[in-house]
Amino acid sequence: MTGLGDRILGLCLLVVAVAYGWVAQQWPEPFGGSEGVGPETFPTMLAVVLAVGSLYLMVKPDADTQWPVGKTALELVVSIIVLVIYALLLEPLGFVISTTLAVGALSWRMGAPAKSAFAVGLVSAIVVFGLFNYGLSLSLPTGLLGDF
Amino acid sequence: METLGFLMDGFAVALTPYNLMFALFGAFVGTLIGCLPGLGPANGVAILIPLAFTLGLPPETAMILLTSVYAGAMYGGRISSILLNIPGDEPAMMTCLDGYPMAQKGRAADALAISAIASFAGSLIGTIGLIMLAPVLARFALTFGPAEYFALFLLAFATLGGITGKNPMKTVIAAALGIMISTVGIDISTGTQRYTGGVLELYEGIDFILAIVGLFAISELLFFVEARMGKGRSKVKMGKMTLTFKEVVSTVPTQLRGGLLGFIAGVLPGAGASLGSFISYTLEKSVLGKKGRFGEGDIRGVVAPEAGNNGAASGALVPMLTLGVPGSGTTAVLLAMLISLNITPGPLMFTQNADIVWGVIAALLIGNVLLLILNIPMIGVFVRLLSVPPMYLLPIVTMVAFVGIYSISHSTFDLYFMILFGVGGYLLRKLEIPLVPIILGLLLGPEMEKNLGHALILSDGDWTTLWSSPLSIGLWLVAGLGLVLPTLVGPILRRRMRNAIKEGPVSD
Repeated sequence: MTGLGDRILGLCLLVVAVAYGWVAQQWPEPFGGSEGVGPETFPTMLAVVLAVGSLYLMVKPDADTQWPVGKTALELVVSIIVLVIYALLLEPLGFVISTTLAVGALSWRMGAPAKSAFAVGLVSAIVVFGLFNYGLSLSLPTGLLGDF
Repeated sequence: METLGFLMDGFAVALTPYNLMFALFGAFVGTLIGCLPGLGPANGVAILIPLAFTLGLPPETAMILLTSVYAGAMYGGRISSILLNIPGDEPAMMTCLDGYPMAQKGRAADALAISAIASFAGSLIGTIGLIMLAPVLARFALTFGPAEYFALFLLAFATLGGITGKNPMKTVIAAALGIMISTVGIDISTGTQRYTGGVLELYEGIDFILAIVGLFAISELLFFVEARMGKGRSKVKMGKMTLTFKEVVSTVPTQLRGGLLGFIAGVLPGAGASLGSFISYTLEKSVLGKKGRFGEGDIRGVVAPEAGNNGAASGALVPMLTLGVPGSGTTAVLLAMLISLNITPGPLMFTQNADIVWGVIAALLIGNVLLLILNIPMIGVFVRLLSVPPMYLLPIVTMVAFVGIYSISHSTFDLYFMILFGVGGYLLRKLEIPLVPIILGLLLGPEMEKNLGHALILSDGDWTTLWSSPLSIGLWLVAGLGLVLPTLVGPILRRRMRNAIKEGPVSD
């Protein structure tokens, strides 16, 4: 079946629209009684618009795009994981160490030789850290390296 | 001349050494952002917002910085078009047509120089247009009531896909999603908690800056990972400058035509810089007819689109500054900066924040001169930086985005959220759902709801008030056209653009 991507997207968006619209109907009436417009008026309109749009997508989907498969898909997942780990380790490890690892890992996965990738990571981490902490006096976490 | 007086005040703001320094910095960074493929102007400006914010810059300085970046990015786009045959940003697409052949013939330095001059001319014409048109439009916009504003916002969304847009329904969906995200948080008029799920971080709503940075920066990184373009491409040698004064003079009519057409395209909803450069290029081709050798490295083929897209860039600021309704991705990001500075965009800005508006306009003029200086003698610096391969560049850009977002709130929660937006942005872009309407929805959603509420309260709950004045009916009609026209005219225009490009440089 062609247009599978759009159809699935349409289905997901329809679920979102219905859930979003339904939640809006559950809010208690605001203090002071009901007026022409309540907190639910605008969201209800949006839910209708999105529902119509998603139905249209399911009925008249565009042709499918090329989705990454195999190794490329894996690379994408790895990149996302690297980003999440970066956010996770930013505070405990400190900015310089975690940035070296994150920038290095991403550059390396994008095709740079491992050595120069991590070197670029380290240099950029130190430059940005210096710029922020001393130049702009915005403190980035120092983590393991402690205060200096 | 009231306007002239304001402009002089603007110069007084923009010419302080502090602001001048930021204008220069912005112009430099902007050119860099424009010329590096993989770092588009909207993306670049978005990454700079948190930085401008955490630096605690005064509002006029922050706006001057970002507008200079914006103007610079329009200059920069041409560099990679000419040297790499890849447009640095979308409007620079047409510059590839004659710019790259010119570079292949060993006239790269000439192409870069003449395009800088053309950019300057286009931008100057556009800015003069902005100075003349903006106050008039702002005065007119003062007559708008809430119902007209509501219709105007709809118009902005409807025309955002542009005449060349592919599937208007996808624009509608994107806009709805963006507005939906903006409704998360405590409702301002009633205090009802909406879609927060009891999560404390969501009470104040989702910060649009982190959404914008996530959508642009992170999804761009993922696209490059997928495309495996890490190593970049080979570029043409620069060569010596052989441009003669006579040659520059011979392109003056082209510059004027291009700049003017570009400005008009920039002001009109749904046209934008890409169409501006396309129209100026095709007009030039038909005006000069057989006299030109377009597509083979004709100098006027470089001048026309560059004057066009820079004229359009200034033109696009008109609706953003006067109505608070941006017509392009980058102006939407500029609007985000205004909103986060707590300045209500729209006609009142011209009276209440005159120093900012005119400071920005004056900064555009000054920025242009700075850019011309940066782009002719110092072009070598940018050319050298162009050879930084994306595999190093994009991770560093991503890291800067992380730092910016982290420094706003010092919370890693925001970082996870940003990654989430990035992954979502990647998926949506793969499904050809445009991101700019989402961002515009995030920004305009609250205003739209507020105006709807006001209109309905004024009319005692009568919905027909939304289309009862001639002005609002007109706006609704244009909005309707904005959705219908692309399906009728879009395929034809798109085919023409494709034919013009033939083999087609890969757009990033």
